[in-house]
Amino acid sequence: MHVRSRSRLVGALALLTGCADPVHDREGDALVVAQETQAAWTRNFNPFLPNGAARWPTRGGIYEPLLVYNRVAGEWTPWLADAWAWEEEGRALRFHLRSGVTWSDGEAFTAEDVAYTFTLLAEHPELDGLGVWRWVEAVEAQGDEVVFGLSRPFAPGLEDLAEQPIVPRHVWVEIADPLAWNNPDPVATGPYTEVVTFTSQVWELGRNPRYWQPGKPAVAKLRFPAFAGNDAANLALVNGEVDWAGNFVPAVGRTFVDRDRAHHVAWSPPVEATVYLYANTTVAPFSDRRVREALSLAIDRETLVTVAMDGLTHPADATGLSDALAGFRDPGVRAPWTDHDPAAAARILEAAGLPLVEGARTEPVDLLVVAGWSDWIRAAQLVARDLGAVGVPVRVRPVDFGGWLDRVQRGDFALTIGWSSQGSTPYAGYRDLMGSGTVRPVGEASGGNWHRYGSPAADALLARIEATADPDAQAPLYDQLQAVFAAELPAIPLFPAPAWGVANTRLFTGFPSPDDPWVTLSPNRPPEPLLLLTALEPR
Amino acid sequence: MSALAWLARRLGLYAVAAWAALTLGFALPRMVPGDPAAALLARLQGKAGPEAIAALRAALGVSDAPLVEQYGAYLLALTRGDLGVSVSRFPTPVAELIGGALGWTLLLAGVSVAISFVLGSALGLAAAWRGGVLDTVVGPALTLLGAFPYFWLAMGALHVFGFGLGWFPLRHAWDTSVAPAPTLEFGWGVVRHAALPALTLVGASVGGWMLGMRTSARSILATDQVLLARARGLPTARVVSAYVLRNAVLPHLTGFGMALGFVVSGALLTEVVFSYPGEGWLLVQAVRAQDYPLLQGLVLAITLAVLAANALVDVLTLLVDPRTRAA
Repeated sequence: MHVRSRSRLVGALALLTGCADPVHDREGDALVVAQETQAAWTRNFNPFLPNGAARWPTRGGIYEPLLVYNRVAGEWTPWLADAWAWEEEGRALRFHLRSGVTWSDGEAFTAEDVAYTFTLLAEHPELDGLGVWRWVEAVEAQGDEVVFGLSRPFAPGLEDLAEQPIVPRHVWVEIADPLAWNNPDPVATGPYTEVVTFTSQVWELGRNPRYWQPGKPAVAKLRFPAFAGNDAANLALVNGEVDWAGNFVPAVGRTFVDRDRAHHVAWSPPVEATVYLYANTTVAPFSDRRVREALSLAIDRETLVTVAMDGLTHPADATGLSDALAGFRDPGVRAPWTDHDPAAAARILEAAGLPLVEGARTEPVDLLVVAGWSDWIRAAQLVARDLGAVGVPVRVRPVDFGGWLDRVQRGDFALTIGWSSQGSTPYAGYRDLMGSGTVRPVGEASGGNWHRYGSPAADALLARIEATADPDAQAPLYDQLQAVFAAELPAIPLFPAPAWGVANTRLFTGFPSPDDPWVTLSPNRPPEPLLLLTALEPR
Repeated sequence: MSALAWLARRLGLYAVAAWAALTLGFALPRMVPGDPAAALLARLQGKAGPEAIAALRAALGVSDAPLVEQYGAYLLALTRGDLGVSVSRFPTPVAELIGGALGWTLLLAGVSVAISFVLGSALGLAAAWRGGVLDTVVGPALTLLGAFPYFWLAMGALHVFGFGLGWFPLRHAWDTSVAPAPTLEFGWGVVRHAALPALTLVGASVGGWMLGMRTSARSILATDQVLLARARGLPTARVVSAYVLRNAVLPHLTGFGMALGFVVSGALLTEVVFSYPGEGWLLVQAVRAQDYPLLQGLVLAITLAVLAANALVDVLTLLVDPRTRAA
């Protein structure tokens, strides 16, 4: 009796499990990508929505911009436009469009489409997240060229115009509310445009039959299984079910790379924007430059990057620039405040009028950090320890993301760890770190410059950069900006953030690696993935 | 008071509870700092200026109107069955999101709770009646299993049985290589995908049901009526079912109703670990993205489910326990 029931149980188990997923004989025609964390997919390919609301390939595989910036190479790749030039002393920007490009429905791609895309931004300010119409005055299609008229010379505007996804006029002109349209069957110019299947758990995107790059893309389709969390995605990655991923893998060398050194690649160059410790400069004693310098001297950045960031990056230098902007770095700009020197920090705090009283120089200070962002929380704890050691007691306060963003934008904090702005030049970063134009009163939300620091010296340089489109003329200005940053220390740079990327090259080739660093391995920064998607090939 | 009047009073109580829950669902998200437009734009990492956020807030329908006005509009929309549009998955209607997840949650969590309750009660009854290994080993072992942190249990099971041994699929609710259609093959895939998550859910909760049932059955067993029934020579089956089970299950039913009601809120950790497309994951996402409309819709769904389950238990109690009818 007992024996029989047990064998029945085993039989049922075998039946239940006998045909488990065939993990290791996957079809090789679909590149499996894990970039978004979703338990169930919703079908949305609207390129005007931020990432997360529209599916990931929308801005990095379906729709294309005029130019694509390559952060590793540090240069613009011509895309829908094959040439561009500044005219009228920086008051006009002219793009020459590539010929032979068609929309995936067969209609010709023209300058009218480009002009129409920007007209949409003007008519619907909610689509214009970057606010280009604050300085664009007019956009006009002229034959196979598009000309932007600017209200003032604004050289840094190139990147905001160049990376805007371009939509087909003949489709979008029918749409009354472009923000609320889910665009289920996209008509686009990109390498992948055809939705093959779409269910809540997995969807596939096939290649554009009319793509303008002959013979590309070589991979027939992209496949997106839904992963509800990082752990689920990591398990699939380790199991060989994912070819390309942008999610964080803990101890990636041991858990992933070592399992198949020939095929498993993890490469995270520190080219994302630098992570800063922001001290609110409207709050004493952080309004005092000397105090910020002392805080910086107190922080042991080597330990910080080893412990908090798994050694994937390196300490920031006194320019605050990440490796994506390494070409702009002025080796002449040196400042001792990025060294770890607690004794000097203590001396400076003493001189700044903060004597040590009962082991502390200040009241306890709150350091806000986003709850759940474990690497930044670890960094915050190390910073708190280091600052405590020089007499500035710090309490780490994890706050839920929405609340954190709201507080830092309104300037309602003393210390926080946060990202910074980064474009293809140091302009955007320095503007948001020390441009007076980005300073808002405490209580009013500000997109950048949360610490509320304005530097007249930087303002003058930023204005001159805006007026000069010539890179040779800009270069010395950027050097001077770096010197201003190093001297005034508006915020405390910690480390450049790594651009996270992992790949399994068992079925596909063409991925970059530390030995072949031609583009980042990270899918997380559209439209950059266009560069890689058009280069990958089946093995 | 007749049974009908008693039911009517209960239903009135439920209506008040539903209203209170709806109002809480409206108020709570608004007490949290930050707003959905900012959260949506957060991925632009500071590139979006306050102007763009303001325009987006307007477009998303994030309202600055007085709370009373918003509350009125909210109640009015509810009467039309309009739950609004999700902000984090703009512009998908909330009803569609909840509808898409509800079936899977009911299937996985509902079946698991039912299995767990029936199995646990049967084991508890048997342990109380027969004692032996069932009582001294199985019971404590199941309680120990239930005492593990659930996410640990689920991830361990996934790692050993899914990843290591390859017996079960690692994720999802159906076999994605089979087209979703009412075919045997598709149905089989659904069963296979639900098996491991359901096993972990049952494993984590069956000990509790068993312990509860065993305790109440033991106390009933010690009563004179059971002694009398046995003395009169009634068959064991009749003693167990009519004298012990019927009395012992009463306090249990209320707990079952609660568990059943909370099924709709989803087995949160299960869904995250197994990438199962249910309500629990939606709830987490709604909270993270400050998606008020989705949160309100979910609160509504959960409230109604809990109240419905309670009403069901009330009716069941009425049927099982003659004293409630007589009173």
